[in-house]
Amino acid sequence: MANKALNVTAQRVTQRLALSALALLLTAGVAQAQTQTLEVSNARLSLLPGNTPGAGYFELYNTGDEAVTLVGAKSPAFDSVEIHVSSEHDGMAHMHELTSIEIASGERFEFAPKGHHLMFMRRVEPLNIGDDVDVVLEFSDEQQLPVTFNVVSPASM
Amino acid sequence: MYKLLLAALTSLLLAGCSDQSWRTTDVADIMPSLDFSLVDDNGDNVQADEYLGKPTLVYFGYTFCPDVCPITLARLGDAIRQLDDETRDEIQVLFISVDPARDTPEVLKRYTNAFGPEFTGLTGDKADIDAITNRYRIAYEYGEENENGDYLVTHSSAVFAFDREGNAQFLVRDSHPITDVQADIKRLTEKS
Repeated sequence: MANKALNVTAQRVTQRLALSALALLLTAGVAQAQTQTLEVSNARLSLLPGNTPGAGYFELYNTGDEAVTLVGAKSPAFDSVEIHVSSEHDGMAHMHELTSIEIASGERFEFAPKGHHLMFMRRVEPLNIGDDVDVVLEFSDEQQLPVTFNVVSPASM
Repeated sequence: MYKLLLAALTSLLLAGCSDQSWRTTDVADIMPSLDFSLVDDNGDNVQADEYLGKPTLVYFGYTFCPDVCPITLARLGDAIRQLDDETRDEIQVLFISVDPARDTPEVLKRYTNAFGPEFTGLTGDKADIDAITNRYRIAYEYGEENENGDYLVTHSSAVFAFDREGNAQFLVRDSHPITDVQADIKRLTEKS
């Protein structure tokens, strides 16, 4: 009984992963054609054991002639990914979600510790230091930019 | 005359040394000593006096915090590990959760273990957490829950340092250079 329930759950997870992987492959193909003006470097996902959320840090360089607007991100490895910014005032640490970030033509926008970051919530399966995680950055003009994030420990940053 | 001047200078210098203040923010006269009744990351009830005897660094945060909390703890761990062995073994870091609903002892244990053996997680009833946050005049505030029941917590960003007797000494802010933090931690361990 319990085994059957587990099997069904496992099957659902597998199906979901397969679907996500397919979606990622499709969007990756589209992205390559459209996003030659965006370069991502130093993409790492700071993660701790357990199911606490992770933080994604990277540099996004807009080499194009026009501004682009990042509106979201998704990953088959997490239930949800949000754009967040941390700030500090009056000795208090604040964090809030952003719905978009505009990156001007020629701008290098840094997602860095204690500043802008992607917040990765509810991992679908366990992840280890050194693993690669597929992420798609979504832009307002429908551009989809696939990026591979390397899982690191915050203790190594 | 020359001798007198030299003596005066020497005593001035000595006075300067003994009266040296912390490179980070000195809070010795304005913060109360370490006092709490909480639950440690093994699930045991603990009192502040069980942590006396070693210099203690205290940070208030929560484990659902992906950026500021782990980065602060990691940088603190790095700063401690770069010091000599003797200093390193002397220091303990207490991570006090302001989110006891999610931060059970088990969650805290797994979390603090990732930063090093000197880190201990503390949680407790909300009333016990409030007793210590009120004592240090620290505010914290829960954000709205999203559709998954997840929420963010606004919390104090400073690290508080206490001497072996539990007396408040200095406070580390993000803006303090790591070399100043290390110098103060080292001095804290040398202080009898």
